Amino acid sequence: MVAQARAPSAAPGAPAGTAIDRRRQYYRFIYPALAIILAVIVFPWLFTLYMSVHEWKVGSAREFVGFDNYLKLAADQRFRESVGHTLYFTFLAVLLPLGFGTLAALVFHRDFPLRGLLRTIFILPMMATPVAVALVWTMMFHPQLGVLNYLLGLAGIPPHTWVYSPGTVISSLVLVEIWHWTPLVMLIVLGGLAAAPTEPYESAVIDGASRFQMFRYITLPLIMPFIVVAAVIRTIDALKTFDTIYVITQGGPGTSSETINIFLYLQAFAFYNIGYASAVVVVFFVLVVMLSLLLLYLRQRAKWT
Amino acid sequence: MTRNVVRSRPVGRRIMLKGSAAALAGLSAPYLNTVTAYSQTGAFNWKRFQGQKIEVAMAKSPRGDLLQKHEKEFVELTGIQVGSEQIPEQQHRQKLVIEFNSGNPSFDVQMLAWHVQKRMVGKSKWMEDIRPLLKDAQITAPDLDFADFGEAGLRWATQADGRMDTFPFNIDYWMIYWNKELFAAKGMKYPQSFEEMVDTARKMTDASAGIYGWTSRGLKNANVPVWTSFMLGNDMDPVHPKTLQLQTTTPEAVAAAALYQKMNKEYAAPGTVGYNWYECQASFMQGRAGMWLDGIGFAPPLEDPTKSKIVGKVGYGVMPKGPKARHSATFGDGLGVSSFSKKKEAAYLYCQWATNKAMQARLLQSGGGSPCRKSAYVDKETVASIKLPREWLDCMTESLNIGRPGLPEIVPVTEFRDVFGIGLTNTIGGADPAAELKKATEQFQPVLDKSEKA
Amino acid sequence: MDLTAKLKRLLDRGLFALSVLVVVSPAALVILWMLSLSMKTELENMEYPPVFLPGEFTLRNYVTVFENSPFGRYLWNSIVVSGLSTLVALLVGVPAGYGIAKAQAWRLAVLTLIARMTPGLSFLIPLYILFQFVGLVGTLWPMVIIHLVITVPIVVYVMISFFETLPPDLEEAALIDGCTAWQAFRHVALPLARPGIVVGAILSFIFSWNNFIFGAVLAGRETRTLPVAVYNVLTFEQVAWGPLAAAALIVTLPVLVLTVVIQKEIVSGLTAGSVKGG
Repeated sequence: MVAQARAPSAAPGAPAGTAIDRRRQYYRFIYPALAIILAVIVFPWLFTLYMSVHEWKVGSAREFVGFDNYLKLAADQRFRESVGHTLYFTFLAVLLPLGFGTLAALVFHRDFPLRGLLRTIFILPMMATPVAVALVWTMMFHPQLGVLNYLLGLAGIPPHTWVYSPGTVISSLVLVEIWHWTPLVMLIVLGGLAAAPTEPYESAVIDGASRFQMFRYITLPLIMPFIVVAAVIRTIDALKTFDTIYVITQGGPGTSSETINIFLYLQAFAFYNIGYASAVVVVFFVLVVMLSLLLLYLRQRAKWT
Repeated sequence: MTRNVVRSRPVGRRIMLKGSAAALAGLSAPYLNTVTAYSQTGAFNWKRFQGQKIEVAMAKSPRGDLLQKHEKEFVELTGIQVGSEQIPEQQHRQKLVIEFNSGNPSFDVQMLAWHVQKRMVGKSKWMEDIRPLLKDAQITAPDLDFADFGEAGLRWATQADGRMDTFPFNIDYWMIYWNKELFAAKGMKYPQSFEEMVDTARKMTDASAGIYGWTSRGLKNANVPVWTSFMLGNDMDPVHPKTLQLQTTTPEAVAAAALYQKMNKEYAAPGTVGYNWYECQASFMQGRAGMWLDGIGFAPPLEDPTKSKIVGKVGYGVMPKGPKARHSATFGDGLGVSSFSKKKEAAYLYCQWATNKAMQARLLQSGGGSPCRKSAYVDKETVASIKLPREWLDCMTESLNIGRPGLPEIVPVTEFRDVFGIGLTNTIGGADPAAELKKATEQFQPVLDKSEKA
Repeated sequence: MDLTAKLKRLLDRGLFALSVLVVVSPAALVILWMLSLSMKTELENMEYPPVFLPGEFTLRNYVTVFENSPFGRYLWNSIVVSGLSTLVALLVGVPAGYGIAKAQAWRLAVLTLIARMTPGLSFLIPLYILFQFVGLVGTLWPMVIIHLVITVPIVVYVMISFFETLPPDLEEAALIDGCTAWQAFRHVALPLARPGIVVGAILSFIFSWNNFIFGAVLAGRETRTLPVAVYNVLTFEQVAWGPLAAAALIVTLPVLVLTVVIQKEIVSGLTAGSVKGG
């Protein structure tokens, strides 16, 4: 990650002037990428800001309205509900993969036959095309013909309505997220486990610590920074989840799984309220950045302790 | 084509004439371009624009399949190359708006869903008025026979200001598919009124056996036509066709929503709130639902033994009579020419071909829709070759007489369907129909006002 | 040996094997179910209770997919779009990653990080208008360009973390010998960075390949990419689970194969770089 600043790499004996010159030289390496980033990333941001202070519906004229779109948004019941859905979804879609991913990493950290093969199978979901996978999950969720209800039936559990009921739709969608992204968390945490020193464990064994104690007091603190990294990445992605929800429920039943991203899509591409949708983008963006900063701050704290 | 003898002309003259022809053509037919040599001829000629290439955009549907299947015929007839594609409804509608709005759409011919985008396209004048073209003998086939188009199709194709920007192509009638075997098992007959419909559904529902008397769309947006179908039985449109006033809180609208709630909450499978037509179709094809209310165009797979378990057991019922009227909700598609197209004549020829008598007859034969030409229904050969049961055709011809638009002709149809669709979905969850309609109406009223003001 | 200790070890092993099974089976089962759906007839797919092993093994669904739409063309489009946007990302991103790591230009790094946080949908309207203005709509270029939104940050990111871990001694020696910064990069750092480049390239290719929404809104008939095409397999008149599953597998297969082939590199790249596009 970027934030890990390293000590300046300039040789200690070199004069200060050369170091600065050299830094300037290195900037030239960055310009081409910077040009692209300005064109495809920064330009859209500025344009979105511009559009967000206009009332602009496709087919009619553009009109400057100041902060009206933002005020309207603040009063929009449906938008506020979508923020709630997004936070609820994100909370579950971060926490559960973090838990399962850490457990899976502990499993894969041990040596056992066929580990490489099984680990490959395990990480396949995160590489699979989300749209394709979401379509398959839609079939599996079908309340009458889906395979999930059949499997529940085998275990003697009554059938569920999964994404077909307002009460269970978000948790069912989270199920897909868990399936998809637990491997990512596992990989990051596995990296942390691999980097962990072995000495603390040796002394703990001598002290007669139980396995749980070792995990709680040695392993967990060691891998905590990695878990936080995973949490940051997962939070950003969970907030932005679109493909899965769009394909499986399109925000339904009713609006019960309508997240900010789906709301944004509807405003922009179904109702063609470009100005209003741009205001949604801005608010959404601020939310993502704020949550990520919060987590990065937590990460710094985790590092210091 | 053998009818039109193509006369060859000396090359030199062709080039020479090109310039002046532009001016001449401009006088006689403002839309004519001069890309090909035949643009000078005064008489109609299919091959006049050969060598051009047009793009056709269609929503994914059996109608699109049909047009693509016979596309080669048009290419041979006219020498015009066609690039056509079908994309899913939702994406297609969204692309249409984005591209038209950009002023430089990638297509020349557009299949327009009247019930969703007619007024939007009409108000922005995104598509060419075909009335002047129809009068122009230079580019309109003499055997077009415009009078053959039935009234329902013409009404859909005509905008409020009298412009006609599409050819009538297909009308979808809503009716009820019913499972004869399940009906026989309970000793019941097809219902003739809404009351009987409720009664039948109730008697047939046996949740423990996984059999439900009813299935229809519960998914927001998609579900609105189910409600309007019931509303039409109360002789009420969601929006007044002339004044464009919302009529969604009238007692008739509330009664329809209450019926919607009853049917989908009590007599349909759990999970109905998330059902679109394909979930309904799947459970009906599995023999797990007694009745299914939807468009008549969904019939072919039901009679296909590789896909359906109920081949030969499907009844095709005309929409039962409501408390005040008997209507079948209609929806439809037209084909028209983009106003931005640079090859309007070639595009116009395509529309003529796509809606000609032979193509309309094929549409009926395939079972994928209901043609807008009257001739398709009377041609004995066509009728005899229909693969679907006779009952299907009877249901269609009866629905023809009681058809009435199932969605309002306003600009923000998608938003209308979304807002009211959410309310309807909520009623399945137990919310009060009147309260939900009131809330949705309050929410939608400003959107409608704004769209009409602009 | 103590019997209880032996039993305990056996139990321990059994429990561990069970936990491995529990961990791996969701991934395996869903993919197997996809495979099963794609190889059964439509009647069997709609059967309840579900049929797991095809009664009549068929490849018909795959044929249907290729017959009904120009899937070969979509495949090619996907390869071009993801390939070119990855290539461009490498050309500008590898030096940029190097430059950022060396000059410690963290503000630029944060810019790419923020790009990563921006919802993909928000790029669509401004860029569409831009493409209209420039007159690129209808070609593959808009797709390639918009995919840079995904690929450039990934490559820059992976490369920053890679060059950071590279010991600076060798280049310093080269610089002292009179090489320019570019020569030091070109002849010393770049060859060493090959594993990092491979990881960056593959990750950016995969996440570009999987992108749906850009294609769904921007791509036309001739420029459609695979994920959009799969979504379009949802036919109008009836659900066809078999062809749908077949199409889904066709799209996912190249990525899965890539994953299997270079899983070690992906593992190290992900644990080091910790990035994903979108």
